[in-house]
Amino acid sequence: MNRDREQFEAAGLGLVLIGQATPRHAAHFRRKYELEMPVLADEKRESYKAAGAKIATMGELLGPKSVSKGIGHAVKSRGSVRQGRVIGHPAQLGGAMIVTPGGRVAWSHMADDASDNAATEELLEAARSA
Amino acid sequence: MLGAAKQRQEAHPPERADALADIVLLDHDGHDVRLGELWSERPVALVWLRHYG
Repeated sequence: MNRDREQFEAAGLGLVLIGQATPRHAAHFRRKYELEMPVLADEKRESYKAAGAKIATMGELLGPKSVSKGIGHAVKSRGSVRQGRVIGHPAQLGGAMIVTPGGRVAWSHMADDASDNAATEELLEAARSA
Repeated sequence: MLGAAKQRQEAHPPERADALADIVLLDHDGHDVRLGELWSERPVALVWLRHYG
């Protein structure tokens, strides 16, 4: 993620993470993964709602697509990234958005299910054309 | 169960971030951050995590 941040900075783009818990959880998450970018805490999920993020169905949370992708991530990261205790709303999905000065949403990818994450390359490509 | 939706929803990201701009969140150090400040000078990528884990 820090390597991604460098690429974002090179593309003239800030990168900020938002999670659905307290500042203490955010600080722990940041330390755990040695992140350099800001991590914001949105315990009430206000920004999730304003960003149009959805609440998943059980099928979207635990369907074969989500489970197989989760296992794939765990294998790929050799166990360094694994699902921890869920804090916040378990069915809340996330997403990503690029906002330009003036407030225009130049690009967005809000998750359709638990396995649906925007690729860094996709974000960077969108940033270059923003 | 798990607070899951009973019916499939659609994500509905806005075309403008006006509704996000005035939201104030705390950062990892407990400082207030008004989201609109994040894109006041340059574009920003906001990433909403499913959970910290």
